[in-house]
Amino acid sequence: MEKLLSQKFYQAMNELEPRYPNKKALILPALHQAQAECGWLPPEVLAEVAAYIGVHEAQIREVASFYTMYNLKPVGKNHLRICTNVACCLRGADDLMSYAERKLGIACGETTPDGMFTLSEEECLGACTTAPVMMANDDYVENLDINGLNDWIERAKNDR
Amino acid sequence: MIAEQNTLFIQHFWKDSNRTLEYYLKHMNGYEAAKKVLGGMTPDQVIDEVKKANIRGRGGAGFPMGMKWSFIPKNSEKPKYLVCNADESEPGTCKDRQIIRYTPHLLIEGLLIGSYAIGCRHAYVYIRGEYVREAQLLVAAIDEARAAGYLGKNIFGSGFDLEITVHRGAGAYICGEETGLLNSLEGKRGEPRVKPPFPAISGAFSCPTAVNNVESIANVPHVIRMGGDAFAGLGKIDKSGGTRLISLSGHVQKPGVYEMQAGSMTLRQIIDQFGGGLLNGRRLKAVIPGGSSSPVLTAEEIDVVYDVEPLMKIGTMMGSAAIMVINEDTDMVKLLLRITKFYAHESCGQCTPCREGCHWMESILHKILHGEAKPADIDLLVDVAGNIGGKTLCALGDAAAMPVQSFLKKFRPEFEAYVKGQKRHA
Amino acid sequence: MPKCLIDGKEVEFSPGENLVKVAKRAGVEIPVFCYHPGLSVVAQCRMCYVEVEKMPKLQTACSTMAAEGMVVKTQSEAVKKGRQGTMEFLLLNHPLDCPICDKAGECDLQDNSFGHGSANMRHSEERRTYVDVDMGPVIQKNMNRCIHCTRCIRFGDEVAGIHEMVAIKRGNNIDITTIDGKQLKTEYAGNYSDICPTGSLTLKDFRFKKRAWMLKKTETVCEGCSKGCNMEIQHEGNVVYRCVPRENLEINKHWMCDEGRFNYRYTQDESRIVDPTLRAPDGHKSAAWQDVVATLESKIRGGEVLFLLGTDLTNEELSAIREAASTLRTGIKIRTFGTLGVTKTSEDGSADNILKMKSKTSNLNGAEKLGLEPLAGDAKADTVIVFRGGRAALPRVEAKWSAGVGVFNREEASGFDSVLPGLAFTEKEGTVVNHAGIGQRISRAVRPKGTCKSVPEVLMSLLNTKSKAGQA
Repeated sequence: MEKLLSQKFYQAMNELEPRYPNKKALILPALHQAQAECGWLPPEVLAEVAAYIGVHEAQIREVASFYTMYNLKPVGKNHLRICTNVACCLRGADDLMSYAERKLGIACGETTPDGMFTLSEEECLGACTTAPVMMANDDYVENLDINGLNDWIERAKNDR
Repeated sequence: MIAEQNTLFIQHFWKDSNRTLEYYLKHMNGYEAAKKVLGGMTPDQVIDEVKKANIRGRGGAGFPMGMKWSFIPKNSEKPKYLVCNADESEPGTCKDRQIIRYTPHLLIEGLLIGSYAIGCRHAYVYIRGEYVREAQLLVAAIDEARAAGYLGKNIFGSGFDLEITVHRGAGAYICGEETGLLNSLEGKRGEPRVKPPFPAISGAFSCPTAVNNVESIANVPHVIRMGGDAFAGLGKIDKSGGTRLISLSGHVQKPGVYEMQAGSMTLRQIIDQFGGGLLNGRRLKAVIPGGSSSPVLTAEEIDVVYDVEPLMKIGTMMGSAAIMVINEDTDMVKLLLRITKFYAHESCGQCTPCREGCHWMESILHKILHGEAKPADIDLLVDVAGNIGGKTLCALGDAAAMPVQSFLKKFRPEFEAYVKGQKRHA
Repeated sequence: MPKCLIDGKEVEFSPGENLVKVAKRAGVEIPVFCYHPGLSVVAQCRMCYVEVEKMPKLQTACSTMAAEGMVVKTQSEAVKKGRQGTMEFLLLNHPLDCPICDKAGECDLQDNSFGHGSANMRHSEERRTYVDVDMGPVIQKNMNRCIHCTRCIRFGDEVAGIHEMVAIKRGNNIDITTIDGKQLKTEYAGNYSDICPTGSLTLKDFRFKKRAWMLKKTETVCEGCSKGCNMEIQHEGNVVYRCVPRENLEINKHWMCDEGRFNYRYTQDESRIVDPTLRAPDGHKSAAWQDVVATLESKIRGGEVLFLLGTDLTNEELSAIREAASTLRTGIKIRTFGTLGVTKTSEDGSADNILKMKSKTSNLNGAEKLGLEPLAGDAKADTVIVFRGGRAALPRVEAKWSAGVGVFNREEASGFDSVLPGLAFTEKEGTVVNHAGIGQRISRAVRPKGTCKSVPEVLMSLLNTKSKAGQA
């Protein structure tokens, strides 16, 4: 079968392998790496990871579905994850979420039709003293307000 | 309040340039403690020093760190592991993130000393998946340390070897629970394990393992540098040594991460002196003193010394020292629903009371907030919480039950107002 | 031996035993769901709470090892409240469709609910529901009934050696399933149904066939291979409805394979010959017992005669045939047959490292111990009489005349000149010796079909016919 994951993936994994007493411990790093390459984790990619690790495909599915950061469905080019947990909620996160929904024209959990944005509700991101916080792709945007959110979305739109 | 120059952490925070090895060596006596340890202390002497220092675990449970290390069997044939818990995920908590961002070498040196003390040759830092940038910074710092000979083979010519691997989580609060974390490290679902066996006997990869919080480990170089007694002396209360990093959030003027000598301030002083009092001149209604799972306090209860035992005495806990300040405009029903929703979302689903009960509590609270509940539902909610608390496989059940029980005990009229139709959800 | 105190009763225990086991010995039944003596302990269901002196919280008996002097209470108010809470949680999302559930009557959820639950229902929330997948021919899935005990997952991992039942997602949304609705692959799938404490995984074969409490139970041994798995035949009105494993820690522990579980089917298949037959120009025709016995007797009087004995016969049957053969006349050659390529116990061995053995008959070892020799090559003689329990693989027979005594189907019967129908393993008693030399009794669960006769009966009529012929 043709491989979906790149040489880079296999190289990264081979470098990591000696850092663990067994290969199974590579499952989380492998899923991160695979997702970084593919944007999400379709069943065929999960199967390839399973084959690489040497476990049953079902085992990878069990693990992948346990964690919220593994996208088992496609996500937009920009993934906005707005924290609505206590500290953010006390500082107005709910308003930010409603604003983002209106601005993007989608409900939380959805992706814009052009595939540019996915909006998610996030549980505590661990940056409570700079609440409200949003995780935009791999970066935190802290002390977020409506203007900041608006600017971020506009910049991302122009950056297509 | 502690003078800035006497702080162990804060004085080095907030400047990106401080995270370098160069800064660490120049301004923080970097790797001197490790050199001392590897150069002439026995593992037992290190553990004794840490015991003397009275470091209570900074992750939430408050277990004495030296004691934890002493549980690692000395004569085991198996490899031993030191695992640093950087899963910082109890809502309200964000101090470990700053340690990793600004003083990563304190953590690395702490891992080096700790590994030596328990006989570990490969330490892991399990960092929450969302801390993408922090993980990158930490990996860079580890590379820097290795390049300088502070990690790798034959460190300081002592014959001691150590590697550190940063292992990223992937979005699961329960991986902050140490056995959930270990399962996750092993490539499994982050479901907590049945105890016993405890990690000290069978932890990571079924080997003896000590799991310690970032702040706990980052304190170790200070302990060695100052001596355990002096470190313990920083604490102004029995059994708690050193300083505490506090994550102060919510309705205060100046939310932030602060540092205090353990037991040196009351909750009120922290809110006023660090936080600058309440935001926009509003009045205080409640304080969640130790992360969202800790029982809530009313505005009248905050003249309490902020440390493990005094808080325990008034029925709450210090947890991970995450203080969330709540003003008079806050709807406690809505807030409790939000907290409960979190624990229901994060329940791993293994054990019955947590899987079913947390979701049920969320449903009942949802009904109360939306005017669909009967008066009896309030008592039902409390009873359900009682059937979860103390009954689950790990502490998540308690974490979900305590807020419900305490909110209902202290703010019951707000819930009754909804049930009686006197108040409606906006 | 160390002792502990359970509800005031002093009980001895061996170190490492958990409180569920120790309590059982004291006559105290602790309710469980996730705990199974044959699987690892996970302490997930939180049903087996007990109070242990000096421990502030309730403990789960499955994960608590007995200790010297430990004082355990299983009936305290705190325990009752804890168990009641767990029962309530488990029923929040259970459909309570017991009237149409095959598990009803033998369901742990029902029993524990009856014993430890509350009569009042306090919740009014909508129940969680799932769309079920088809998991293949053995197991019927109903996820709505699942209580997430994970016994099935652990059985796959720890016993069947296949990770096919999985927990997908987490928390309240967990689905216990096969991924993408794949069919179960294990050849031990029936055990999923046995160990499921609710009606979430039931046997398709048994679906809507019989209420569990109507079934009579007969303890016996599986005839599927030389392992000798202990099992129970469950039957009613002379019909076998299913077979389930019985615990025998030395042999099959708690399990059996699907081949053995469903092996009984042939005994009540409509193609089974249940009345004696004789070959006629246009195929087999029913005949009277006395005629077929007389014919058989006449065929073994002269020429070269070979008796072929299936290693699926009991020790008693094998001995009786050998004895009868020597009485009937001298020179009857006796050989055994059973599994192609496995003619001796020394050639036998595990077929899958779980339970299945290479020998597909139950009494190879018994036959060997009786000194019977296996057939080498084809069965060649003037007259060949094949005695067979029902499972031994028929060898090629070259004879002027041949007969089958025992259990055969129509197709198999067509190879013989006469069939004298016998008793299946469900219909007789006797002894078999497994591969390891353990002798075990098989028991009669149902009456023989048609006019089937036991081996001793057939032999007796044969001897009677001979002596009558001799007198004439």
